[in-house]
Amino acid sequence: MMSDTQTVGSIPTPQRGLSVRGIINSAGIGLALLLLIVFFSFASEHFLTPNNITNILTQITINLILAVGMTFVILIGGIDLSVGSVMAFAAVVAGKAITLPGLGPAELILLATTAGVLAGLACGMLNGFLSAYWSLPSFIITLGMLNIARGAALQVSDAQTIYSFPRAFENFGSLLISGVPVVFLVALVLVLLAWFVLTRTVFGRIIYGIGSNEEAVRLAGHNVFAYKVAAFSICGLTAGIAAIIYMARLNISSPIAGIGFELNAIAAVIIGGTSLSGGRGSVIGTLLGAFIIGVLANGLILIGLSDFMRQMITGVVIVVAVILDHYRAKLAGNG
Amino acid sequence: MKLFKTLGLAVAGLALSVGMAAADDRPVVGLIMKSLANEFFQNMLEGAEAHEAERGDYQLLAVGMQNETDFESQINAVENFITQGVDAIVVAPADSRAMVRPLIRAMEAGITVVNFDVALDADALAEQGVELAFVGPDNRAGAKLAGDALGASLGEGGRVVIIEGNPGADNATQRRLGFEDSVSEYGLTLVDSRTAHWETEEANQVFSTMLTANPDIQGVMAANDSMAIGVVRALESAGRTDIAVVGFDNIPAVGPMVEDGRMLATVDQFGQQMAANAIDLALEVVAGGPQLEGWVRTPIELVTQ
Repeated sequence: MMSDTQTVGSIPTPQRGLSVRGIINSAGIGLALLLLIVFFSFASEHFLTPNNITNILTQITINLILAVGMTFVILIGGIDLSVGSVMAFAAVVAGKAITLPGLGPAELILLATTAGVLAGLACGMLNGFLSAYWSLPSFIITLGMLNIARGAALQVSDAQTIYSFPRAFENFGSLLISGVPVVFLVALVLVLLAWFVLTRTVFGRIIYGIGSNEEAVRLAGHNVFAYKVAAFSICGLTAGIAAIIYMARLNISSPIAGIGFELNAIAAVIIGGTSLSGGRGSVIGTLLGAFIIGVLANGLILIGLSDFMRQMITGVVIVVAVILDHYRAKLAGNG
Repeated sequence: MKLFKTLGLAVAGLALSVGMAAADDRPVVGLIMKSLANEFFQNMLEGAEAHEAERGDYQLLAVGMQNETDFESQINAVENFITQGVDAIVVAPADSRAMVRPLIRAMEAGITVVNFDVALDADALAEQGVELAFVGPDNRAGAKLAGDALGASLGEGGRVVIIEGNPGADNATQRRLGFEDSVSEYGLTLVDSRTAHWETEEANQVFSTMLTANPDIQGVMAANDSMAIGVVRALESAGRTDIAVVGFDNIPAVGPMVEDGRMLATVDQFGQQMAANAIDLALEVVAGGPQLEGWVRTPIELVTQ
């Protein structure tokens, strides 16, 4: 099992942003992605077409947004199992807001976006507070939140699909700028923001520090509690943003949306080379990890593989990624 | 300690509800449904509650479960109902094999059992030497209604794909078979068939990729409306208006889509009345009527523009 918030003695290199080894790690994942792309390009004539690239970008957007937030939580040595449910809760809150009577479309969109994002943020903050205040494993706290948020989503929506949003909002989800979905650009901006925060700010360095040696960070006089709450809050915030994107893309909000999405988000982070024990990894890796999952899901359908084989291969890729991570950890330990 | 307190409360609650059941001489019907997170069952529950209030001559105890595959809580519910001594159990089984044995125990305890929505496995029932009637829609015939509408619109040789429900779920299998019946009857070409686990977002992703692989698709058969919504959105994003979509369930959210032609048709199986109808039948048996036999088919209807 994953050790939660406990320090892992074998990783003595805290406070490191984008190191040389980090670049090599990311390059390894990039190479794997490149190989996949080359393989599918030869295997299917449809793979490397403009339309399909647009499709892949749209398809990875929600997972990528969730995975960006998840990266922060995993870097501090935690885990967030609730993001799928929190996304559904945020979507339902935003859905209720955006279908309120008597308001103009612009007001509705603004209100709904704010409400959805805040709902996600609140859930994340609660996750962080509960696990950090009592030093409880985030695995269990967020498992609780998984149920709380799902139940709340069903309660608020009375288990009904919410639909009929303002036209402008519905169109936003399929808007393209020279073939690139705007929703993907939103995700990309989040990746760049996260990359900047993690590698270029004190906040980021402390996030890495907590994951590799929490006690050292505490002894250096930092408020570890606040940083942990912040990491989970960021994760909840991205779940809220993902909820808005979900609604814009599908033009509904459903209380049963996002079941199991947390697992895909965690998979993207881990495939991207971030260590489950914390302290090591990068959000650029997460971006590549989300691409690997998305390219696999897309390419395996294009070459006509059955659903069951597809599921198996995705599983194999996750296992292989974790085994590679094991060797990377060893390398980091010896280096 | 807290655990014991909760346990104590639960026991007290159970004793209370048993006491209530005994004090009231109206018959008690235990209704066991699948996931109340599914709006189909949520609507069904509301229909049953309205029905109880309207008839007024029976008492309804309803339970749902956490998710579609959580049949253990259904088994627990059957056992609780046996303990409480209800007169009838009306059940939509989450697993058509696993539920057979607990329901036989209920029948042995003298409880009238009515199976609705999804039929219990015929072989498993025969193995146990029992016969149990089934009250519910013909999912296969329903899917064929939708499939036929698509077949009639496309004509022979039309290229279609199927978006399936959860692999292994009985209604998913029946609906797929119904679509395949239409495919052979209308001489359609089935290009691909994949699951999207009943879910909008997955259907959106899976279908947009299927469309890339087979741009010449002319029709889509989705095993429920949630997935049909995902398909419609994928078509809108791809700027395709030449592909016909049919769904199943007639949930409110697809109303506008059928209205403006983004969907060709869906199928209504009147879920809201389904539990209520099954309860009516159960109460007739409890009142001394004849045992139900075979398959009591409930109405299905094609919904088009």
